Amino acid sequence: MRIVASYSIKGGVGKTTAAANVAWLAAESGQRVLLWDLDPQGGATYLFRVRPKVKGGGEALVSGRRDLRDAVKASDFDNLDLLPSDFSYRNLDLLLDAQKKPTRRLGRLLDSMADEYDVVVLDCAPSVSLVSEGIVRAADLVLAPLVPAPLSVRTLDQLRSFIAEAKGPAPDLLAFLSMVDRRRRLHRDLSEQLPNEHQDVAATAIPMASVVEQMGVRRAPVVAWARTAPASVAYRNLWDEARLHAKI
Amino acid sequence: MADEFVVDEAVGPSCVEVLTDALPVRGDVHHTERRVWFDTHDWRLFRAGLLLEHHVRKRESWLVLSDLEGQRISRQPIGRAAVTAQSLPDGVTRDRVLELIGVRALLPRVVASGPVQVLSVLGPEEKTVARIVVEGPTTVRDGAPVGLRARIESLRGYDKDAAKVCRTLDAIPGFGPAKEPLFESVLRAAGLHPRSFRSKPDLEFIPRIPVTQAFAGTLTQLREIVLDNVEGTLRQLDTEFLHDLRVTVRRTRAVLKFAHGTIDEDIRASYAVELKWLADQTSLSRDLDVYLLGFEDLVSHVNASGELEPLRRQLTRHRKTAHAALNRALRSERFAALLDGWQRELAVAGPAERPVIEVADDQLSRAWKRVAKRGDTITDASPAEAVHDLRKRCKELRYLLEFFGSLYGADARSEAVSELKLLQDILGEFQDAEAQRISVHQYAVELAKAGAPPATLIAMGRLEHHLQLRQDAARAEVADRWQRFNRKHNQRLYARMVTSR
Repeated sequence: MRIVASYSIKGGVGKTTAAANVAWLAAESGQRVLLWDLDPQGGATYLFRVRPKVKGGGEALVSGRRDLRDAVKASDFDNLDLLPSDFSYRNLDLLLDAQKKPTRRLGRLLDSMADEYDVVVLDCAPSVSLVSEGIVRAADLVLAPLVPAPLSVRTLDQLRSFIAEAKGPAPDLLAFLSMVDRRRRLHRDLSEQLPNEHQDVAATAIPMASVVEQMGVRRAPVVAWARTAPASVAYRNLWDEARLHAKI
Repeated sequence: MADEFVVDEAVGPSCVEVLTDALPVRGDVHHTERRVWFDTHDWRLFRAGLLLEHHVRKRESWLVLSDLEGQRISRQPIGRAAVTAQSLPDGVTRDRVLELIGVRALLPRVVASGPVQVLSVLGPEEKTVARIVVEGPTTVRDGAPVGLRARIESLRGYDKDAAKVCRTLDAIPGFGPAKEPLFESVLRAAGLHPRSFRSKPDLEFIPRIPVTQAFAGTLTQLREIVLDNVEGTLRQLDTEFLHDLRVTVRRTRAVLKFAHGTIDEDIRASYAVELKWLADQTSLSRDLDVYLLGFEDLVSHVNASGELEPLRRQLTRHRKTAHAALNRALRSERFAALLDGWQRELAVAGPAERPVIEVADDQLSRAWKRVAKRGDTITDASPAEAVHDLRKRCKELRYLLEFFGSLYGADARSEAVSELKLLQDILGEFQDAEAQRISVHQYAVELAKAGAPPATLIAMGRLEHHLQLRQDAARAEVADRWQRFNRKHNQRLYARMVTSR
């Protein structure tokens, strides 16, 4: 089982859309995929039409009082299941802190799913917290969207430091440019410059596209219903890069 | 509550409309699908509770692994070409299938095709909470068609919704619970019965039945097993066909031997000759199969895979020639006559004579004594021939235990077999190492004449030495294993078996 965390320190940068599309692509290739929506906003849960509710809340899951497996819901797509978000996840930091070895807890919980899934995609809330530390510790690959901006490199550096400072073996990092508007010169320049200068930045950039926004209306990953759209092609290429990068 | 329904012919054409009226469903595209169920000849996947299906549609095809209740374990995209063990894509299907099938080939066991329509049952927010798969009528290759079915697929976390769908279907006139899953119906239509597959005779004797009846029944089953393995041996589908054919011939020869005094002596003698001929035809091919199957392992002991490549090529060449000769024998008139006569003369019970139990007691006692006589003379200094002789007598005793085992208590029988097996294992190891050592030497001579590189011959020398060490190690253990086998406990076990009824 390989764990991919879609993570960003910043919110609204395309983290959930990346998680949903990447999870769908992995499932389409025949891998058994679990998408865990750890964001209390429940964006991924909404996209897959699942009720954002876990019986007993985050406390029951984190404490082990409720088996993670019992909370899993099938999505509408083959090979793709979802562990839904719950509003109580807003307190996940506190819940983890109440456990022994809190940064190891998420990884331990996921170990119990190893015989059922080939890939787990974690959709993480944007923050630097105990939860994100736990996620980084559990993940084999951190997939990090970057919005093209003069501060992108600084964000990337912060991410690298955060991963390097986390306890345990460091996961692979693959950052990618997200919400790229090819009409803007800065976006075009950064899309070429960053992958050339940094090995941990994907060559693929996800374009700013209305089809990506329509995911919220259609409530399904764009790769599932607009397979040939440039954004879908980009997500497919990104997933191919990620698989190579982290040997998934 | 059933999760698969047979749809009445009267409802058939309007099945989807009926379901659409009864439930909030969304219909997916209607497909014609060809389904091929794959398994080994001996149904290893089915026996492990798994079904492997290749679903081929116009534009896509899938490999689906599920359990016998239809619960899907994995669904992977795959090409349209026939699936083989080697072509399985990476993932859980490949891992589980390869682990189960071992050296056996994955074969298309049954092919069916027909229309398939999937209906998604929608819950709140239009979320799919269950699926109804409407399949059929299904055309079965080499079999009768199977009628229209509606199968409910439950989705994880939505079991209650699936149960509700089942209750709804159960209440619709024209929908009746299916007595068996589609797979079982398709198999039955094709005349396949995986549960009754046997690679050795299924023998359950009543003590008082005439011994002639017991022999005729056994020889009938043995002939069927031989026939069942001929095609796979001829086509070299996998090495187990020849193995099972060869073991069955060996069993038959043993049974004929036990039938001394029961089957007419002239008939028995003539079939003994014919079966020995058949066994001889299979020997070289099987030896070479075993050699090549264990080649990597063997080579790993002497750390010389590159140098021994000429030996592998030579073995492969020899195997090709040996299999061609075997195929000629299996297509010969002599083999056809053997099978024909076997049916007419061996598989028919003669006039009633002694009850089978008397013969069994008598034969088991004698076989035990024969084993004991050889075993008692075995010392560390006994020649290899004495060890081989003991091995043959043990094999005879083992076949007798298998043949007449049902007449004795199951516990005693299984203990007797497992004790004997321990002894047989070491005797087999001794014999195999010796046979392989001798052939390595012979092949080295051949390769030297053919101008093989010195590195190959040196590596073969190391291999011969390794086999000698293995044989010596086995030899050193024979006397100890014999002492263990011949202890009072086992002597009493055999004595009890023939007197305890």
